[in-house]
Amino acid sequence: MIRLTIDDREITVPEGTMIVDAAAQLGIDVPIYCYHQALGPLGACRICLVQVEKMPKLVTGCTTAVQEGMVVHTRGAAVDKGRKGVLEFLLINHPLDCPVCDKGGECFLQDYTFQYGAPAGRYDEPKIHKLKDAPINDFIIIDQERCVLCQRCVRFMGEYVGEEQLLLEGRGVDTVVATVSHQPMDSQFSGNVIDLCPVGALLSIPYRYKARPWNLEREESVCPHCPVGCTTSVTSREGHVIRVEGRPVAGRNWGWLCDRGRFGYDFGYVEKRLLNALVEGREMSAAESTRTVGRWLDAALTDRGPESVAFLVGGQQTMEEAYQVARFSQEVLPGSRTAMVRTVEGYLPSGLNGSFQDIERADVVVYIGGDPYDAVPVVHLKVRERQRANPGLKVMGVGAYELTRDFHGAKNFTVKPQHQAAFLAYALAQAGTKSQAVEHLASQLGTYVPSLLNPVTPEEIQALGRTLLESEHLVLLWDGKEPEMESVLLALRAAREDATEVLPTFGPSNWRGWERAGIPAHFASLQTIIDDAAQGKISVLFVVGADLLRDYPDREQARRALERVDHVVQVGLFLPEEVQLYHAVVPGAGWSEVYGTYTNMEGRMQVAMATVQPPGQARPLRTYLNSWAHALKKSFVLESEWDPFDDDSGDFVPRESLPELRPVTVPEPSPGTPPGSLRVVGFSLVMEGGMPSEILAPRVPRFPGRISPQDAARLGFSEQGGELQLEGTMGKISVMVAPDRRIPDGILALPYGIHGSPLNQLGEGASVKAVRLEEVSLG
Amino acid sequence: MKPKWQVWANEAKAEFPKANSALLPLLHRIQTEEGYLSENTINDVAELLQLPVPYVESVVSFYSLYFQKPVGKRVIHVCVGLSCALNGSDQLMHHLEGKLGIQEGQTTQDGEVTLLEAECLAACDLAPVAQVNLRFVAPVESADALLAKEVNS
Ligand code: SF4
Ligand code: SF4
Ligand code: FES
Ligand code: FES
Repeated sequence: MIRLTIDDREITVPEGTMIVDAAAQLGIDVPIYCYHQALGPLGACRICLVQVEKMPKLVTGCTTAVQEGMVVHTRGAAVDKGRKGVLEFLLINHPLDCPVCDKGGECFLQDYTFQYGAPAGRYDEPKIHKLKDAPINDFIIIDQERCVLCQRCVRFMGEYVGEEQLLLEGRGVDTVVATVSHQPMDSQFSGNVIDLCPVGALLSIPYRYKARPWNLEREESVCPHCPVGCTTSVTSREGHVIRVEGRPVAGRNWGWLCDRGRFGYDFGYVEKRLLNALVEGREMSAAESTRTVGRWLDAALTDRGPESVAFLVGGQQTMEEAYQVARFSQEVLPGSRTAMVRTVEGYLPSGLNGSFQDIERADVVVYIGGDPYDAVPVVHLKVRERQRANPGLKVMGVGAYELTRDFHGAKNFTVKPQHQAAFLAYALAQAGTKSQAVEHLASQLGTYVPSLLNPVTPEEIQALGRTLLESEHLVLLWDGKEPEMESVLLALRAAREDATEVLPTFGPSNWRGWERAGIPAHFASLQTIIDDAAQGKISVLFVVGADLLRDYPDREQARRALERVDHVVQVGLFLPEEVQLYHAVVPGAGWSEVYGTYTNMEGRMQVAMATVQPPGQARPLRTYLNSWAHALKKSFVLESEWDPFDDDSGDFVPRESLPELRPVTVPEPSPGTPPGSLRVVGFSLVMEGGMPSEILAPRVPRFPGRISPQDAARLGFSEQGGELQLEGTMGKISVMVAPDRRIPDGILALPYGIHGSPLNQLGEGASVKAVRLEEVSLG
Repeated sequence: MKPKWQVWANEAKAEFPKANSALLPLLHRIQTEEGYLSENTINDVAELLQLPVPYVESVVSFYSLYFQKPVGKRVIHVCVGLSCALNGSDQLMHHLEGKLGIQEGQTTQDGEVTLLEAECLAACDLAPVAQVNLRFVAPVESADALLAKEVNS
């Protein structure tokens, strides 16, 4: 630890701390442009000048590390003069167009100029002109004249994200920030450069000219689109959400968002938004619909009892809403059942659930089933950050295709769909441990020998098993596809001396929160209700937030269920698929319209504030529950608002003790996929993720399916892909596919829960006959 | 990519401990033969030296002696640094533009001459200074004299 004095105050900080950070700990604000803690020092802008006693000249506070006994002055005549000079240079060619700049009012160039700058410039010569509104992709515009060349944006994309899409072009006064080869940026982290830019050079297109900072309401929120639960701040004006920004939380996250979370906020008011109730084909007010639904409920209770009523929770409901459903089911209709709508069948016991801090410590990170980049994008950045801090970090992938992108020294084990649990059990057994749990697993494997889709030696499998058992800080990211994996993870935990931390990458985003609120999380609970419904045992089925036909893993069975139920009532933001199967669809209020708590993949609870009114007739769920209870002449008053935060576990949902091991079924050695056929594997793709968005429309991939380049060539597709026709037990279905070099031959990867992806019509692991339908050219 | 570029890249790499250092000589060698550095060339060089494309692109755009567009057989650089400016480089540039019928940064229709400005060429005592295909011509007496001697001869 180093002791030093800053502005006459003493402080002790770790060795290597930069002066600006030490000052920040004392609450002293040293101006910065180019420096960012996540990116490290650069020293490009010189605004952070400070005076250090015994040093002949001013030094940059962001590149100078503290030293024992150092005496620093962050203000004073010399410092102020230095900053004034730096600002004069920064402003020489600046257009001074603050009155028409979106950043005006929240701009560090304005703020520091007010604080330190000269009242007028001395430079009379003509200014150099550059591009003023050049789009760098569909969401971001650059005004090169306002740029102070701090390079935060360039370094973030190149060094931090590892997708080099921005660069400095030219020299001296002509230098500009531009995209590589003048091609649009397509990184899914592109929007972060808007938050990073300290001036008004990189601006959001959807937010452009929408408001002045002093017209705005800003509320703290949480992104609802995936289980990462990134912290955001939501800007609204006159009842519309018009912007989402990342909200850094000190010591926990930098406030990065993916573009889905940053730009996908318009789902609340897109044209498709449901504004009125639709009951048996007739539009009516929400109030009228509650009376009809009340009558159905009343009849069901009298004729068939509460056992014939069930509630399914899905989508982006808050924990409080899930709790209301659970209470309603218990108190108003005791005997009725609840479940949550899941897209995958696996379950992770909360006792195994790790946190993002575990990634910060990890030596080994294993991706099981899916690539976090697709499913939980910001976690990809967290793993990258860990590899920057610890270049020895091992990243491994166990899935039906290559999962590890461009991590250094990554290793992939490409395992057929539905064989991954057995494969990992086998790898553990090969590692030669004395652990009872692993021996028990091994005894169930019999003569199973894995056959992989990529070249892997038996020694490498053994080494994988050993790494899993022996690495000190192990983090697994699991996509929840194979339910058997739960037992493998439990056995691994039992066999290891050090902690085993698992982060579930599967949705729905808030599933762990609903579980805490009392909604059963196991897939079996959902399946029983759906199967009972399909057998005509359910009279009234409430579907809250989810789109059952889109989300349930077996679409045919879900359809049978909806067909046999007397009355299906949907509460949601949009019309569900095949709306004719629903008897009532009533408009609900969603994210940013109701206050609520979301639990993320760490099991961490975070609050999202309400900032706008629900549109049209849309109402919060509790309003419907109250009036349905009313119609039954029962009272349902949620007197005290439930407080999900538990004193002992703080922000985290309490970890339950671990369940018993369940048997692992060894997969049938599946017959090789017949020639001309492909085996189906599902993956989550948050960039499309269910919620409609007009802003994000240009990002929606036209080819949701992925096949190997060899299969694409064999099927006669060009590099960009085309339409594939699939034939199987479900009949004929067509899907747009593109070649992807990470996919092995014979595999067709399809995203979950997305329009145009027939995954739940085909079924995970199904083998389908595939023929090329037609070539489609990208216009 | 031309096969010999691979050979050149290896030669350049062998001379320096890091690939970054091999970049400038390799770019020069390729440009001497190709006349300029196209987007494809930049991608190829990045691949040859295993450097990020934006890095190579930034370097190429930084130095005024790398050309990203085709240039004429003769490239005239007119120094616009302080000493040369005081000694009339502005007028010299205007006259050259008039005579050649092009603007600074352009190439004549017949592909003969490209006219460019340069920052201080480190020969201030001879201001105003020009270079024709990197050879110094200084002090320049007039645009006519420069063209007569160096271009039309
Ligand atoms: S665009 Fe913004 S972030 Fe990028 S270099 Fe310029 S000022 Fe910095
Ligand atoms: S990573 Fe997930 S939670 Fe974070 S911004 Fe993207 S969609 Fe939202
Ligand atoms: S912030 Fe210190 S030099 Fe830019
Ligand atoms: S200013 Fe022209 S050579 Fe120095």
